[in-house]
Amino acid sequence: MISVKNLVKTYPGEVPTYALKGVSLEVTAGEFVALMGRSGSGKSTFLHQLGLLDTPTEGEVIIDSINVLALSEAERTRFRLEHLGYVFQEYALIAELTALENVYFPAMAIGDSDAKNRAAHLLDLVGLGSRLDHQPHEMSGGEQQRVAIARSLINNPKVLFADEPTANLDTESSATVFKLFQKLNRDLNQTILVVTHEPEDKQYVDRVVWMRDGIIQV
Amino acid sequence: MSGNDIRAAFFIAYKTIAKGHKSTLVLIIFILSLSFFNLMFVSGFLSGFSDGIIRSMVETSTAHLAVMPQEEPIKKEYIIDQASVRAGIETIPGIVATAAHYQLGGSFAYDKERDGVFTYVSAPIIAVNQVEEKAVLSVFDHIVSGDFPDTLQKDEIILGANLAGGFGTEQTTDLGGVVVGDTVVVVYGNGVSRTYTVRGIFKVTIGGIGGTAFISTKEAEAILSTYNNASEIMIKADLAKYTLDEYAERIRYLYPELTVEKYTTRLSTVGILVSAFNIIALIVSVISIIVAAITIFVMIYVNTISKRRQIGILKAIGIKESIIELSYVVQSMFYAICAVISGTMIIFWVVVPFLDARPIMMPYGEATLVFTTVGIVINIVSLLVSGLLAGFIPAKMVARENILTSIWG
Repeated sequence: MISVKNLVKTYPGEVPTYALKGVSLEVTAGEFVALMGRSGSGKSTFLHQLGLLDTPTEGEVIIDSINVLALSEAERTRFRLEHLGYVFQEYALIAELTALENVYFPAMAIGDSDAKNRAAHLLDLVGLGSRLDHQPHEMSGGEQQRVAIARSLINNPKVLFADEPTANLDTESSATVFKLFQKLNRDLNQTILVVTHEPEDKQYVDRVVWMRDGIIQV
Repeated sequence: MSGNDIRAAFFIAYKTIAKGHKSTLVLIIFILSLSFFNLMFVSGFLSGFSDGIIRSMVETSTAHLAVMPQEEPIKKEYIIDQASVRAGIETIPGIVATAAHYQLGGSFAYDKERDGVFTYVSAPIIAVNQVEEKAVLSVFDHIVSGDFPDTLQKDEIILGANLAGGFGTEQTTDLGGVVVGDTVVVVYGNGVSRTYTVRGIFKVTIGGIGGTAFISTKEAEAILSTYNNASEIMIKADLAKYTLDEYAERIRYLYPELTVEKYTTRLSTVGILVSAFNIIALIVSVISIIVAAITIFVMIYVNTISKRRQIGILKAIGIKESIIELSYVVQSMFYAICAVISGTMIIFWVVVPFLDARPIMMPYGEATLVFTTVGIVINIVSLLVSGLLAGFIPAKMVARENILTSIWG
């Protein structure tokens, strides 16, 4: 499903920062992988490159047999919308939209006429069936994160990326989110790549990939 | 851009407006409304000023058109048989009325204290048939003392306040304070001397008419030893029907030997003043448009920049830049349209009624706001274009930013 070869990300400057120093990784379809490592190890940077939120300095990223780095900016945007799901650490919901609207808006953008129903179903799936019309500021952090997860799934993504999705949540909410990921992975065969630094999250995933100083530790 | 894109753009714009901070929304629309109001008021007031001066000149002095005696090949002193010429002119559709004038000049002598010490002033004198005159010019409307009867007797005279003096219009060359009922002696250019009783005094501050005097046509004909002639024929026309040029053309067609002048060429120094003022008004209006445009741009720009995180999130979830840009253009246009509507309401529901109730007096009369369709359209288009650019440019800038920078700064 995901094939990464020799990915390099350098931030230019008087003293260049080598965030990724040639990372290679293979993730198979339906696999639930956790990227772990210390703060500054490059795991979030790595996920940003895979989620097409940033452009690597060099390397190759193949997702679902498509060389995504060869795509134009417009094609990448379209690819993000139709094939990738992304969950941010800080929820990243649109403040002016309700939970239901936040979830169905990406589907609406591709003309899905059943977007509202599917969004309601997804919110039900993440345990927020009774909170459809609530706005983000009316929900707890854990609830907002589950809305973000539902949104990331609305267009049936090939891969779901989650960048420290429980960093701002309490233990109970964190466990709820990871159990949800596990459920999605098992029930829907959803490929998931999640960045986390909590050792106890290992119990939910199929495989842990450790990063240190911009490289993957074997 | 597909229908889905447009629908998505309008959806996010609508939600952002409807669910955003109401106080911010009201503040933006209020400030934009004031900018639009300022734009409309400044241009309307300046147009009203020029328009008022010209209207005053046309109503009291120049009329719409004037016909003068033959200039070529032989210069003649009078229009001969003015009655038939006027009748001919009045057959032209759209001509409302005509009035014949004799123009004379004379030296006025006035003994204010009746002590044998006279004040002497030279001034132009116009002879009119007041019944005809009232249909064309409205000097009779500006009588400040006495009256201007339809049947002015041969020994009666009407003086302009600038000539009479003492009506807050002191000139270096006035008679020092003539009042109605006083007598003045006039010595005409041909040497004829007459004594008149002052029947009325009028006050017109725009143009030179305030320094003239009026006598009856019969009196002028007696002095000049002429009959049924005129120095000029003043014409009032319906300008909604034809243009000045079209009327002038038709009069020339009927009377090719006569000279026809439009009021625009008879405004003399007032015309120069108005032209200069119009240039100043244009500059002030353009500056007002620029100031309003910048205000609108800054307001919407700041609002859009403050939404950069939202823009970053939209990009991150795969929403096209064009959808985001259109969404912000829609929002800006909404603000701009609200500003146009509320600014227009302030003008026409508040300011215009206020000026009607408490008019500001200007030299030409009450200050009025004059709006032309073209002017209003220019103001509205200026505001909408500013709003459009103010929405599009920052949205484009932020949408082009790196997604992570937009979200996290």
